[in-house]
Amino acid sequence: MTKMARNNETSLGRRRLILGLGAGLGGSVIARVSPAAEGQGPAHPPHVADAPTGHEARKDAWPFFGMVQQGVVTPRPANGMVAAFSVLAKTPEDLEAMFRLLTERILFLTQGGAVPELDPRLPPPDSGILGPLIAPDNLTITVSLGSSLFDDREWLKPHKPRRLQRMTKFRNDALSADICHGDMLLQFCANTPDTNIHALRDILKTMSAHLVLRWKQEGNVPVVPPKPNGSTESARNFLGFRDGSANPDSNDANLMAETVWVGAERDEPEWAFNGTYQAVRIIRNFVERWDRTPLREQERIIGRNKASGAPLDGGTEADVPAYEKDPDGKITPLDAHIRLANPRTAKSRKNLMLRRPFNYSNGVTKSGQLDQGLLFISFQADLEEGFIAVQRRLDGEPLEEYLKPVGGGYFYVLPGAPAPETYLGETLVRAACRTTACPT
Amino acid sequence: MTRHTLFAAASFLLMAGSSLAAPSTVLDLVEPIADYKIYVSEKLDKLVEDTEAFTAAVKAGDVEKAKSLFAPTRLSYEAIEPIAELFSDLDASIDSRADDYEKQEQDPAFPGFHRIEYGLWEKGSTKDLDPVADQLLADVKALRERITDLALPPEKVVGGAAVLMEEVAATKISGEEDRYSHTDLWDFKGNFDGADKIFQLVRPLVEKQDPAFVQKVAGNFATIETTLAKYKEGDGYKSYDKLTDDDRNVLSAAVNTLAEDLSTLRGKLGLD
Repeated sequence: MTKMARNNETSLGRRRLILGLGAGLGGSVIARVSPAAEGQGPAHPPHVADAPTGHEARKDAWPFFGMVQQGVVTPRPANGMVAAFSVLAKTPEDLEAMFRLLTERILFLTQGGAVPELDPRLPPPDSGILGPLIAPDNLTITVSLGSSLFDDREWLKPHKPRRLQRMTKFRNDALSADICHGDMLLQFCANTPDTNIHALRDILKTMSAHLVLRWKQEGNVPVVPPKPNGSTESARNFLGFRDGSANPDSNDANLMAETVWVGAERDEPEWAFNGTYQAVRIIRNFVERWDRTPLREQERIIGRNKASGAPLDGGTEADVPAYEKDPDGKITPLDAHIRLANPRTAKSRKNLMLRRPFNYSNGVTKSGQLDQGLLFISFQADLEEGFIAVQRRLDGEPLEEYLKPVGGGYFYVLPGAPAPETYLGETLVRAACRTTACPT
Repeated sequence: MTRHTLFAAASFLLMAGSSLAAPSTVLDLVEPIADYKIYVSEKLDKLVEDTEAFTAAVKAGDVEKAKSLFAPTRLSYEAIEPIAELFSDLDASIDSRADDYEKQEQDPAFPGFHRIEYGLWEKGSTKDLDPVADQLLADVKALRERITDLALPPEKVVGGAAVLMEEVAATKISGEEDRYSHTDLWDFKGNFDGADKIFQLVRPLVEKQDPAFVQKVAGNFATIETTLAKYKEGDGYKSYDKLTDDDRNVLSAAVNTLAEDLSTLRGKLGLD
């Protein structure tokens, strides 16, 4: 397979999504405002509890079948959720049954369709929260496996991806066992949060014999209309800064093959080719304290202009900072977040990762502060060279005063299901059956 | 059950049944419901008898004896909980938890089994528990009286199997029910027995139309039985703390799957 063929997402798809979002946003605003301004109300003036008018993108679906799974290099929609599970499977046959059912549900949920009708004396087969016809809404569901799935099963142990491990504490972490790790993680991404919730409820209802839910975290990113040239800026995080500016281009298939997808050139088990490592971190932001920090200090801590997202040596968000002209950190401090995370040297190229974060807002702490922050998600072909190396460089950064990582875990994203008769996880099940007795 | 209530139950069923329910199935339910009523009566007699001994120990200030009687006394209540819950005032008075009260354990309104459990395990004393014990015994007797006079609604009986599993799935699997004594595994046993009883009574009616369903449900009950059996100790069960993560996952999956499957039992029997 060529590197190009691996990338099953097209830039056409991305443009269509962006246009859909833009048309939906701009269109609805104009439709609501202009008639009133002209003194003539719409024929059916909306009521307060009417459903907000959606955008065309609800009808859009990302393809499910492919060499790699959806939801990694697929453009990030506005809403995301991760849910971690314990897996019940005790044998390869159990695991196969679980993966087959999961594949069936993901296929239905991401492609959409009508919910079956049953005798009304029975509980309905679907929660109904999206109505009788499920719109795909650009939903992607990405399946990844945690270290414990392999560690706790003798027949899976030999097949564990080489760098898959249980997440351990970095120096600023305060990890809470209730929101860490898991045998399996599902990442849901969709235009609307309801679509993610609907999908999770479907999986809980249909897969109760296979999975036990451990924890979940939802998040979202602000929707911004594209600029006149069709480009969009990176979304802002809850610190008010653009996040993801230095992300490698997910439309560059060669770059994705180098930084994200595990290929034959890596010393990983063959079943794992076309998968990737996923690091998930729930990082609380102390936003009250951040908001009371002088603007220039905020910018020095991050290493970017807050309003534009440009590096401190000027230009736009897309420009690369020239650290070689600033060896003493007079312009961008040496311990600025973006400089530590990505020093932009030839050596640091191997530490690149693809980030896909969402902002989360959970409630109020006992101290009366907002419990909000970043649901950090990154994908990399080598977990140790990627997230772990970068986070080690960040240990002790000034930004730590404003952050507290509290949860998450490391997972391995399964290869894709390439064709209709295949299922997610099939290569792993086959590998396990080569080293242990499986009934045929 | 009197002849009168039996006929009342039968006519209710006929009214509730729609064109999709085979009339024979509806009439077939009369006997299981009557059998279930007997089961409930026996459990209530045992509950009153055990509660008398339990509350007597509390009032005598015998902490150790009261502790030893707490979990076995609750077994009968847990087995028939969906029927007891038809009387929400009594259920709240008998079995509510500290979370249901604004000031939690310190709330003077906190009553029943769990108020006594709190005193026995957390305080190691029966101080201030006399009125709570008196009220508990009175409530349990009132429950028996009210249920004796009740024609059991068939959809509540059949639906009760799923309700018991919902109870375990929602708030018991975590060990928060008996948080002071950690005797949760006894309660599980009561809930499972109560659900299994209902399933066994109607099983012959479903077996013909859906043998795969019956097999799946029976399989999950068996999984629970073998998992719980690992924790048997004396006449009862080990502390909830001893439950391994792995076994809790097994129980949790079986309970949720039973809740899903048993929630279709009413519909399968043509009850609306």
